[in-house]
Amino acid sequence: MKQALALSPSWFMPAWLARVLRSPAAALAGGIMVAIVVTGVLFAPLFTSTDPMALSPDTLLEPSWVHPLGTDDLGRDNLARVLYGGRVSLLIGLFSAALSVILGMTIGMVAGFFGGALDEVLMRVTEAFQILPKLLVAVVVVSLIGSGLANEVLVIGLLSWPITARVIRGRVQVIRHEEFIAAAEMSGASWLRVLTRHVAPNVFSFLLVSASLQVASAVMSESFLSFLGLGDPAHPSWGLLLQQGQLFLNEAWWLTTFPGIALAMTILGLNLLGDGLR
Amino acid sequence: MIAVIFRLLMRRALLAVPLVFAVVALTFFLIRLAPGDPAQILAGDAPTPEFLAQIRAEYGLDKPVWSQFLAFLAKALTGDFGISLYAQRPVFSVILERFPATVIMTGTAMIVASVVGILVGVASAKRAGSRADAAISAASLLGYSMPGFWVGQLLVLLFAVWLDWFPASGMVAARATYTGWRYIGDVAWHMVLPVTTLSVFLLTLIARFTRAAMIDALDQDYVLVAEAKGASQSRVLWHHAFRNACVTTVTVIGLEFGAVLAGAVVVEIVFGWPGLGRLFYDAIYRRDFPLLTGAFMFSSMIVIVVNTISDVVCALLDPRIRG
Repeated sequence: MKQALALSPSWFMPAWLARVLRSPAAALAGGIMVAIVVTGVLFAPLFTSTDPMALSPDTLLEPSWVHPLGTDDLGRDNLARVLYGGRVSLLIGLFSAALSVILGMTIGMVAGFFGGALDEVLMRVTEAFQILPKLLVAVVVVSLIGSGLANEVLVIGLLSWPITARVIRGRVQVIRHEEFIAAAEMSGASWLRVLTRHVAPNVFSFLLVSASLQVASAVMSESFLSFLGLGDPAHPSWGLLLQQGQLFLNEAWWLTTFPGIALAMTILGLNLLGDGLR
Repeated sequence: MIAVIFRLLMRRALLAVPLVFAVVALTFFLIRLAPGDPAQILAGDAPTPEFLAQIRAEYGLDKPVWSQFLAFLAKALTGDFGISLYAQRPVFSVILERFPATVIMTGTAMIVASVVGILVGVASAKRAGSRADAAISAASLLGYSMPGFWVGQLLVLLFAVWLDWFPASGMVAARATYTGWRYIGDVAWHMVLPVTTLSVFLLTLIARFTRAAMIDALDQDYVLVAEAKGASQSRVLWHHAFRNACVTTVTVIGLEFGAVLAGAVVVEIVFGWPGLGRLFYDAIYRRDFPLLTGAFMFSSMIVIVVNTISDVVCALLDPRIRG
């Protein structure tokens, strides 16, 4: 039955596109998207010679040859702002994802390896963190403690580890009973050595997937905080650009459309990459 | 039945009660950790000395930390979140005033997302591997990758600014004094875009997880048995397979409820919807910390309650996890 249905033609999607989406090429497409964004952001001075903070009398101009993505209400070039804003978004995304992956890996490996009461306690804590509305917690923490890049990284990183911990724990529980672990333990290796030398290399591929998805989610979380006005105004990220765009939604479509495309392309690319690597 | 539900609730309370406690403790320590004097944070930027003294006495700020915490906890659990600095009245009454608007929008979005998400998930599981399935997977990955507020902004640009089909913001038409059905119709009209925006994220998640659970369920022996004994296709699909897959769906809805509420905050800002989300935004801007922490504790408690309910529903649906 499934076979027959699978062969039925569909009018809204050409066969080649369907094949691409189900193949490793999806990961490739994700990789290309991420590469485009990273290149644009990293080599921003090559693509625009304008200072993203430079004011000019040309306020709220539509996209043109001089300003390919238009200008904002203070006459700043939107292309430069999108490119340099990406540096902030990606930097916060990378650092907070690194923090959450390291935390998640450690907690997941310990819980999966030792099992028992320790596992029970760690999993309850993980569950609690998953239930808590993480973005609202982040909002309250950043409003009270103060905004700034370091605080954003800390908050997002400390709140996002549960998913990684669960994935790694599941994987460790499987390999815990493999013979090479027993062999290492019998040859007198300490638990720390077994964990770092024998378990860790076997969760590495899962870690890669998790890292990719974590960066995507961290970039999203950062944009949420910045959109609520909790970003660092001295370092405007994509979320902050979208917050400013909201004020001019009626007059200047380019102020929300382009930073949003950059943001969505980054997140989609990383998600495709993560899904594909799996 | 009622005894079963009660027993399940008691068991889930083992997680829910410490979690509520943790939320209140977190808020308490954040207020203490924040730069400046806790009394100043609770009393605003330029309090009169009398008000400052009143706050100090009320929260026992001259007493040891543990007794301060107990006072704070007792207040929070009885719904006393302090006085909003801006509105100059109890935070709890400000929250209750805004709460219905958020419930209407979030509730509608959750119903839409669940119904459509389940239908899409089941349909694509039935045709797993087909082009339609691949298209749905791609679309849901895209939906999952766009920040909610940006989806809202795009919808405003497209359907409100450009096409002028739907209103861009608000809950009712400005200067209109509708009553009865006309009022309800007007609210529904204003709700189309925000509800669509808020649904996108949850819908794609529900579709993805339902699809995976359905593919799993359709592979089981009981489906083969049901097919062999001649059950109709729709009966096999819904009665036998989905009956088992829906546990996953309910779990996802419960776990993602916090994210949905956070999404509602930004969607309300984009659409000027007068609910809890706007309250968060205004509280951040006016540095109205009692209002902010109160709204936070209130929403977190709701998230915890919804999670507990979804856990109980799961256990009722699947006796295997009743334990």
